[in-house]
Amino acid sequence: MKFVILGKGGQGVIFFSRAIAQASAQKGLMVRSTEIKGMAKKGGVVEIQMKIGEGLSGVVRRGSADLVILLSEDLMDYAKTFGEKVFTFTSKEIEKALSSVPMLYVNTFLLGIFVKKTKLFDCEDFLKILDDKNKESFKKGCEYVQSSKRNSSKRRN
Amino acid sequence: MSKLYLSGNEAIAYGLIHAGVRFISGYPGTPSSEIVPTAQKLIKDKEIRAYVDWAVNEKVAYEVAYGASLANIKSAVTMKQVGLNVAMDPFMNSAYVGTVAGFVVISVDDPGPHSSQTEQDSRFMAMAAKIPVLDPSTVEEAFEFSKKAIQLSEKYSIPVMLRSTTRISHGRALVEVDEKIISEDLHPYFKTSKEWSKYLSRFASTPKQRLELHRILNKKIDEIAMENIPHLFFQGDILIISSGAVFSYLYELIEEHSLQNKVTLAKFDMPYPLSRDVVNSLMSHQNSNFNRNFQRIVSIEETYPVIELQLCTEGRRNGIVPKEGELLPEVCEGILEKLNLIKKRKTFTIPPLKRPSLCPGCGHRIALYEVKKVFGKKTIYAGDIGCYTLALNFNVTDTVLNMGASVSFGFALSKAFELGDKIQDVVSIIGDSTFFHTGIPPLIDAVHYQVPFLLVILDNQTVAMTGNQKTLSTNKNFLGKSLKPIIIEDIVKSIGINFLEVTDPYDYEKSLKIIKEAKNFLKERKEPAVVVFRHLCINTKEGLESNPKKPVKIIEELCKGCKLCINEFECPAIVFDEVTAKAKIDTTLCISCGCCIYVCPTKAINLVIESKR
Repeated sequence: MKFVILGKGGQGVIFFSRAIAQASAQKGLMVRSTEIKGMAKKGGVVEIQMKIGEGLSGVVRRGSADLVILLSEDLMDYAKTFGEKVFTFTSKEIEKALSSVPMLYVNTFLLGIFVKKTKLFDCEDFLKILDDKNKESFKKGCEYVQSSKRNSSKRRN
Repeated sequence: MSKLYLSGNEAIAYGLIHAGVRFISGYPGTPSSEIVPTAQKLIKDKEIRAYVDWAVNEKVAYEVAYGASLANIKSAVTMKQVGLNVAMDPFMNSAYVGTVAGFVVISVDDPGPHSSQTEQDSRFMAMAAKIPVLDPSTVEEAFEFSKKAIQLSEKYSIPVMLRSTTRISHGRALVEVDEKIISEDLHPYFKTSKEWSKYLSRFASTPKQRLELHRILNKKIDEIAMENIPHLFFQGDILIISSGAVFSYLYELIEEHSLQNKVTLAKFDMPYPLSRDVVNSLMSHQNSNFNRNFQRIVSIEETYPVIELQLCTEGRRNGIVPKEGELLPEVCEGILEKLNLIKKRKTFTIPPLKRPSLCPGCGHRIALYEVKKVFGKKTIYAGDIGCYTLALNFNVTDTVLNMGASVSFGFALSKAFELGDKIQDVVSIIGDSTFFHTGIPPLIDAVHYQVPFLLVILDNQTVAMTGNQKTLSTNKNFLGKSLKPIIIEDIVKSIGINFLEVTDPYDYEKSLKIIKEAKNFLKERKEPAVVVFRHLCINTKEGLESNPKKPVKIIEELCKGCKLCINEFECPAIVFDEVTAKAKIDTTLCISCGCCIYVCPTKAINLVIESKR
C-alpha cells in the first residue's frame, strides 16, 4: 500500500505517519517512508511518503499513491499529483474533534475517524499501540463515525 | 534483537555506536543534523563513555574526529555535502596519512536540492581524494554500512566515506537492531606506540615522504577495488549499474513493469573505487550469471557520473540520464522509456507551493526591518546561510553564496565601489552560529584593510535553521556538564572593531538609534562596524516562554490596504483579506510579539490594552 500524507507544520503529518507505521509494524508488515520537512515550522509543506508491505524505498512515484491523506485543503492540486484518491477531514469532523477532546488528543480523535472511515486498517491495531488517554480519544473518533453513519441511514429510512 | 522505526540518520548513529565508534564530531546541516543528537542520546541512555558533540565548523569537526582516530579511538565526523567543501583540506590530506583506529566520514547529499546550495555528489569528492565510499540504498543499509565502513577503514588504515542522501537520511524503515551494545575498550596511544618512528613518517611527513604515502594510498585503493564486486539482480540484455537510493527505485520499477528478462541490475555498495578488470572478468566468467554480451551498459546514479566515468558506460555522457535534479522514480521511468523498455508514461506538472517565511515573532524579522528602515532599499544587503536567508522575501538580502560569505562580500562590494569612486552602503547579515563557523576570518581582514560596511550579527543563541542545535554560547552540554560560553562581543572587540553595539531588536527605538549611529560611524571613520541583535529564537521552549506577550489588533477603519505589512515585513500571522481589502491578524499563528505595530504607516495595528478594573 502506498500513502502520501501532506500538510503544514504542526498539523499532525508526522503524528499520522508514526501511528500508521507503528500499527502496521506490530502486525509484522514492513514500513518504509520518506519525509520532507525542511521548513515545516516556517510555513513550508510537510510531506511524508509511505509504503507498507512493499518496495525497498519509502518514495512514492507521482500518480501511484493508493491514498493521499491531506491535512491542508490548499494543497489539493499538489496532492492530486500523487494519486486520484485524496482523503480529507470535513470541517464538521475537525470541529467535532476540537469540541470533544483536549487539544493534545485532537489528532488521535481524527485518527479514529480516518481508520473507521477508510477501513484500511483494523481499529484493534491502533488500540494496541496507543496509551490510555489516546486510546479513549481514538475510540471517540471511531464512535463518532459510527453514530453519524447511523444518523444518516436513519434519515434515509 | 528489536525492530526500531529508525530514520536513516538514526540508523547511522546506531551503526556507529554498535561498531565501537566512541568519538563523533560534526557541524549541523540538513539533511545530516540528526546523527549527532541520536548518538548523544544513545551514549547518555546506555551510559557509554564517549565524546559526541558539535564543532565550530566542518573543518574543525573533521580534524578533531580524525585526530582521535590517530590516537587509536574509533571515530566519525558528520556533515552535509557543502560542509565537506569546508573540510576539504583535512579530507584530502587524511587519505595520504591514513588512519590508526577506524574513521568514517559521513557526508549527506541533497539531490534536488531540497535545502542546499548545490546538488554536488560527495562520492565525486571521495574519488578526488582517493577515499573509498559506501552508498546505502535503504535505511537498513545505512545501519549496516556504518559498521562496514569502520571494518574497511580498520582493514586498510584508510578514511572511509559513508555517503547518504536526503531520501535515505530522512527516510524511515524498521531496522533490526541489537539491544546490547558491545563494550569498547578505549586504549588511546600516540607516542607510546612501539612503532612510533614508522608512524612519525606518516603523521609529520615531508613532501618527499608524501610521495611515498601517495604510492601506499594508490596501492590500498587498487586492493579495495579488486574486492569490490557488484550485487546482481534479474537477467536481461541491458545492464544498468547503480548505487544509493536510485537502486531501490530501479529495482521497484523493474518488478512493477516486469522487465526482469530485459534488464540486469547491478548494485555497487561501494561506487568508488571500481576496477574495470573486475567487471570485465565477471562478464567473461563461465559460471557467472553476468556472462552475457550486454547490448547496452548504462549507469544510473545520483548526482554525478562516478560509476559511469570509472567504467566508461552510457549514462549522462549520452543524455540518457538527466544531468541535474533528483532521480526520483518518475525520472527513472523516463530513463527506462529512453531505453525503449517501457511505453510513454503520464507526466505531472507540479503546482508551486507556498514559499516559507520567518516564523511569526522571529527576532530576525524585526531586526532586519529596522536595518532596512535606516539603510533603505539602495543599500546592498549581503546575506548568509541560516533562517534569515528568508529575509530575501522582504528585500533585505541581495546575495546568498555560502557560509560566512556575507562578511567577505561586505568587504568585496564596499572595496569594489570605492575603486570606482562611488558611494555605496553595504550591510552584511550573519547569524551567530554562521559567524562562529566562517564569519570571523573575513572580519579580521576587513578590520586590517579598513573596509567600511555594517556587519549585522543576528544572535538567537541556537542553530535554528537545522533544528535548534547548540551554539558556542551554550553553558552546558547534553550531559549537563559545564561548558565555557563564547561571547561574540569579546571576539569582535579583540579583532579591533571600534563600533560595537548590542541591542534587542524588540526594543525598536533603541535599535533604530544604534543603527543610525552605525551608519554615521561608517561615513566618518571608513572602517567596519558591528551591531549584534540579540533575541532568543522563539522556536525554542525558553525563547517562546520568555518572549513578551503583546497581543495586537488591526483597527479596520485605519487600514488602507496598502499591504506594506505583508510585503515589507512578511509575518505569516498578518494576512490580507481579499473581501474587505484590509489586513487581518491570523490569531492561530500570531504569538503576540507586538513587533508589527511599528510597521503600519497609518497606525492601524495597535496593541490590545487590557483595561484594568
